[in-house]
Amino acid sequence: MPRPERRFVTFSIDGREVSAPEGVMLVDGAKYGDVEIPVFCYEPKLGAPVGACRMCLVEVEGIPKLQTACSTPVKDGMVVHTQTDRVREAQNSVIEFLLVNHPLDCPVCDKGGECPLQDITFGWGRGISRMVEPKRHFKKPLELSPLIAIDRERCILCYRCVRFSQEVSEDYQLVLNERGASTYVGTFDGHPYVAPFSGNIIELCPVGALTSRAYRFRARPWDIEGAGSVCTHCPAQCNVEFTVRDERVLRVLARDNEGVDDGWLCDKGRFAYQAIHSEERITEPLVRDSESGELVPATWEYALDVAAAALQAGGSKTAALAGGTTTNEEGFLLQRVVREALKSPHVDSRAGLPQVDLGLQQALAAPGLQATIPDLEFAHTVLVLGTDPIDDVASLDLRIRKGVRRNGVKLAVATSRPSALDPNAKLWLRYAPGGEHAFVAALEAAVTGSGDLSALCDAADADPKALEALAALLKDGGEDVVILWSQRLGAAPLPALLNVAAALRLEGRDGAGLIEVPVGGNGRGLREAGVQSNGGPGLSAPKAPGKPAREIAAALASGDLSTLWLLHADPVRDYADRRLWERAAANADALVAHATLLNDTLREHATVVFPAESYAEKEGTIVNLDGRVQRLRVAIGRPGAVRAEWQVIADLSKRLGLDLGVLTGPMATRQLVEAVPFYAGLTLKEIGGRGVRWQEREAASAAPAAPAGPVESGEPLPAPRPNGALRLGTYRPIWAAPEVEVSPALKFLAAKQQAELSPVDAERLGVDNGAKVSVTAGDATVLAKVFVRGNVPAGTVFLAEATAEQSATELLGEAPQLVSVEPYGQRPPVPLEGLARGARPSDDEVNS
Amino acid sequence: MAWNPGEDVVAVQRAPKPGGAGGAYRAFGETLRGLKTTFGRMLERPVVYQYPEEKVPVYPRFRGRHKLHKFADTGLEKCVGCSLCAAACPADCIRVVAAENTPEHRVSAGERYAAVYEINLSRCIFCGYCEVACPFDAITMGHDYEMSDYNRTDLIFTKEMLLAEPLERTPLRTEDE
Amino acid sequence: MSDKLLFDRIDEPGLDTIEVYMRRGGYESLKRALRMTPEEVLQNLLDSGLRGRGGAGFAMGKKVSFLPRGAMDKYLVCNADESEPGTFKDRELMQKSPHMLVEGMIIAAYAAGANRSFIYIRGEYELQAMKLEAAIHEAREAGFLGEDILGSGHSQTLVLHRGAGAYICGEETGLLDSLEGKRGNPRLKPPFPANQGLYQGPTLINNVETLATVPHIIKMGGTEYAKLGVDNSAGTKLISISGNVQRPGNYEIELGMKSRDIVYGLAGGPEPGREIKFWFPGGSSSPVLTPEDLELPYDFDSMAKAGSMLGSGAIIVVDDSNSVVDVALTLAKFYRHESCGKCTPCREGTNWTVKMLQRIHEGDATPMDLDIIASVQDQIMGNCLCVLGDAMAMPLSSMVAKFRGEFEQYIEEKRAAAGFGEMPEPSPIAIAGAA
Repeated sequence: MPRPERRFVTFSIDGREVSAPEGVMLVDGAKYGDVEIPVFCYEPKLGAPVGACRMCLVEVEGIPKLQTACSTPVKDGMVVHTQTDRVREAQNSVIEFLLVNHPLDCPVCDKGGECPLQDITFGWGRGISRMVEPKRHFKKPLELSPLIAIDRERCILCYRCVRFSQEVSEDYQLVLNERGASTYVGTFDGHPYVAPFSGNIIELCPVGALTSRAYRFRARPWDIEGAGSVCTHCPAQCNVEFTVRDERVLRVLARDNEGVDDGWLCDKGRFAYQAIHSEERITEPLVRDSESGELVPATWEYALDVAAAALQAGGSKTAALAGGTTTNEEGFLLQRVVREALKSPHVDSRAGLPQVDLGLQQALAAPGLQATIPDLEFAHTVLVLGTDPIDDVASLDLRIRKGVRRNGVKLAVATSRPSALDPNAKLWLRYAPGGEHAFVAALEAAVTGSGDLSALCDAADADPKALEALAALLKDGGEDVVILWSQRLGAAPLPALLNVAAALRLEGRDGAGLIEVPVGGNGRGLREAGVQSNGGPGLSAPKAPGKPAREIAAALASGDLSTLWLLHADPVRDYADRRLWERAAANADALVAHATLLNDTLREHATVVFPAESYAEKEGTIVNLDGRVQRLRVAIGRPGAVRAEWQVIADLSKRLGLDLGVLTGPMATRQLVEAVPFYAGLTLKEIGGRGVRWQEREAASAAPAAPAGPVESGEPLPAPRPNGALRLGTYRPIWAAPEVEVSPALKFLAAKQQAELSPVDAERLGVDNGAKVSVTAGDATVLAKVFVRGNVPAGTVFLAEATAEQSATELLGEAPQLVSVEPYGQRPPVPLEGLARGARPSDDEVNS
Repeated sequence: MAWNPGEDVVAVQRAPKPGGAGGAYRAFGETLRGLKTTFGRMLERPVVYQYPEEKVPVYPRFRGRHKLHKFADTGLEKCVGCSLCAAACPADCIRVVAAENTPEHRVSAGERYAAVYEINLSRCIFCGYCEVACPFDAITMGHDYEMSDYNRTDLIFTKEMLLAEPLERTPLRTEDE
Repeated sequence: MSDKLLFDRIDEPGLDTIEVYMRRGGYESLKRALRMTPEEVLQNLLDSGLRGRGGAGFAMGKKVSFLPRGAMDKYLVCNADESEPGTFKDRELMQKSPHMLVEGMIIAAYAAGANRSFIYIRGEYELQAMKLEAAIHEAREAGFLGEDILGSGHSQTLVLHRGAGAYICGEETGLLDSLEGKRGNPRLKPPFPANQGLYQGPTLINNVETLATVPHIIKMGGTEYAKLGVDNSAGTKLISISGNVQRPGNYEIELGMKSRDIVYGLAGGPEPGREIKFWFPGGSSSPVLTPEDLELPYDFDSMAKAGSMLGSGAIIVVDDSNSVVDVALTLAKFYRHESCGKCTPCREGTNWTVKMLQRIHEGDATPMDLDIIASVQDQIMGNCLCVLGDAMAMPLSSMVAKFRGEFEQYIEEKRAAAGFGEMPEPSPIAIAGAA
């Protein structure tokens, strides 16, 4: 639904004439007149007010009873009093009642010092207690989950956490148990509250009832400083505030930015900061010792010399890959060094995904065709294509849910793997992995009414009726359509996607358009900075096209390329075809890497490893999904011998005979801004704390013009037929990341390989949930635990990518894969029914 | 024309002119009056304390070096590491890092305890605000004022030093003193 | 014709079957109503001046007229969660004449334009639920429920839902939440159920007795019904009398009857030799009245003028064999147990009040605590999300105000018995609190 218009009304509060937007609640309206009304349960982010805490009672002339300001919308000519004796008496009463059962253990409470209950008691309370009776007691502290501690004695039952679980994240886990004064917050049967967004309730809690276990007793509010920056763990790039004490990040809080994250963080963003201070962090340069063959600590000068020599030797046979937390500036400098000093065209940041024609990229990035993230919340229809936001770009999951729940957005989900958003969708469609091109082409056919829909649907293994319904929804459900599509769709479907957008006339319409979900925290920014094989800075054509990542791997393996330079990239773990990359890394003459953590590849093959900055130590810019240029700011000092990355690249460049002319971080930013036409004139000051969308600046007109007219989409290949085997679909779980594995708090969530099977296939194979299976393609095998999922289409198995062990990338080759799934181990298949719980062999037996 | 100072004129009082009987008195009489005090003290015992052999007793509320306390019965530390003393300290000389008690390793009576408790006594101004701020009476100001040292870092007192019973070096003033 | 409407020959055997009910002229009002337009039926309800019998006493016709007109899903809900201590009139009505309620609901739904109706009955009423279930079945068989009732074009479904035992589900929005399958907590008002009630649709909620009166209004005609009773309190009322009386039970009276005639006349007054100490005129949530107030006529306005309310029409009589402290404690315990815990004043206030009364009971209180109790009741009143908090605060504060002497005497006696003897110096906290 389009955004509602805002009209201002005038009302009087405490004798002051105040004008506020019509329909806002009095609590918010009062702020326009600098009047503060205390609240506990009111939180606009959680949806409709509940009026439970009664803290916000005010007197409205003409209404005999006191009204809750959190649920009374402002009206023209309303006369409100917040300072009368009656109101004060009511506020005093509510505070007294709230403290009746509150333990007042502020000295040992983590919230003490930043606690709304303390502040409001101080500001609006009576200052004494008449309560002499014993208070309510609960066992404490208890673990609500491994991440969250709950202290029920401190709880004031404001309902915020329960409402978050029920109405925002929609995991429906938190509930209120019992009744009256013995009410308490909990989960069904005391199960741990584990959900991707559970950490938000810590920040929502207005008292110290829900506290972070990772932050527990680490610091008091007067010991710490806040440092605003941006989280780079996924492309959502949520705005965060680091809590810093003694040069250590102790906590991550949301820094509410309506244009980016809407004030929510996922648990990875909230707790993976622990990786910054991990024991395994590399804090000094490592160089491979020629005698022992081991990586040994070295001085910077020596490491730089060795790396420069290796790169010099590689020369034009050097390839560079960037990913992860690489900033635009670092990527820009990297491609300058590789292209200008080494005269090699081989740079890439596309995570091993197919190269997309530059003209097509320019067309997809056209400023008029870009939707903004808030558009997801106000569009008529949102189509989620080929991505599950919860895994790929977590905080958008909540944004889409919010749109559906509060603004009546019609959601359509078209993915190969069942999505967490399916229950909220008006329409959900499945296509076979490998049938992406055929599916988007079929969508084009359905939307434009031309082309052979049934043949295309057949090729994609999709339901033509559902596709027609989708086309009807997109065409007739309102003009504002936002398509959230994933870079993982590959290159082939993109012309058809562009044609769909053209047919829906999304170009140039406010509130409608496309949003691409890139792979990697700064995927979009790196491409715009020129870190791709077929594109220079500002999506310009490079002097000479280079090889994309996949071909780089093949060339390294065959010896056509000799040297690999990695900037925060881990192709062996993250890119498809793990075994090819293993060969490439082993075969390379030299491997230079900038990394924060060591992994097996680096340990075995790296020539030089430079200690890289973590995202809390960096300065630079990154670009969000919808083109919002955001700024990373230094929150803590760099540990050990770690140096700024732009500086390391500049030092290397100097040794390679090219002076980059970069002496400070901002100088690198200026170079980038000068090189990218559509960033022209952008300054760090302009970006500020909230970021700025380059499409909304004047310089956006300098974006490269795409070739006009409809694009030829090409004949799609049909998705492979299972024919007894199973199709392999892969996804990257939110928890499959090294920073999760090294964060003590998050370790328990680290993704383990599991094979998602349809009940039909599970029965055919004679396996049940938790059984071990081997998934084989050619001579590669991956072991996984079975997870039978009701709405997985029969004939397909889904495996996780980028897990620490048994990653599905092992099986992924160039073409879509068929795999065979077998129960693992010697025991005969167990029939599904009649399997008593105790009769199942234990994990140890299966593993043996 | 000369500037008229008006009411700003300050009358200067000058000493009486020398000479005469008044002058003689001022020269000798006043001197003798002063000497009376001098000679009067000659018969008294000296008032100088032979520090450090001899120490000035202090009043009970004298604010000297801090002490941390334990419960007499359980032996647990009273300090729960709440850091309120650090918040109250105007000289910013207290540093507290808290940690959680476990059943196996219980240090204080509450949920948390002070893993690190340091007072930089070279910065401390002995105002006693930490004592006032403490919700558990875990820190009090002792009577010890002898804290000079050869090294600045030695003046950072750790939790162990503050918990240890200080040497009784400072006499306390008795009631009638 | 007897002067009774609802309880006219209520004990006739077999009245709970459709045969006997129809032989006595049942469902005739329905037929007559369906011949009228819904507006005419509504006009009859407005003319009758019928006020809600559940407790709040809101004019029923007006409530119906608040529902938006037009085609949409509208709901009628009958509140049969009769949980107010001292109230048991709906139980007898539903048990002995369930068809009267069913007929009333169909007429009311017709007037309101609602096609889906529910009876939310308290879980403890198992027998009554069975009788109602049978009656609904019979009515459906007879064609009074379902599609196109009696050719009028009005369709209606009626579902009986049994609660799980919570007083708060008698509060209309709590009832709706419970009916929707959620935790039975009251909702924030506005929006009122007439605009956004069950499943966010316009909803009419009425008490059993109110709806059961509707067929009689149609039968007599609205203006004729309005002549019963007194000004602003039209019609007859079922009252439940309990407590220290010789003949407790349900009686139907014409509103405006003298209270003394009810308590002494119908119910026979207290046991010989006993004096009435105080009485609740409208269930346990109404402020107590003294024996002098028995001279008042029993109607909505007179009770309100006396500082109490007619409520659900449940008179509880307490004689001088009972201590006011025991009554207060029992009452407070009930409300603490039934508070849903959603809003702060009710959740904490009821709990705290019980703790204070318990201290009085155990001889651990001083007369100063009475000031705190009174002040806590003041803090609850008017500050809560729904009326449950007020329902405890109103009678309790009236008890403390009217029987302070007895409270104080009780406290002193208990203190002496508990061995506290002399009064200690009052603590500064108590002084501050009393101020």
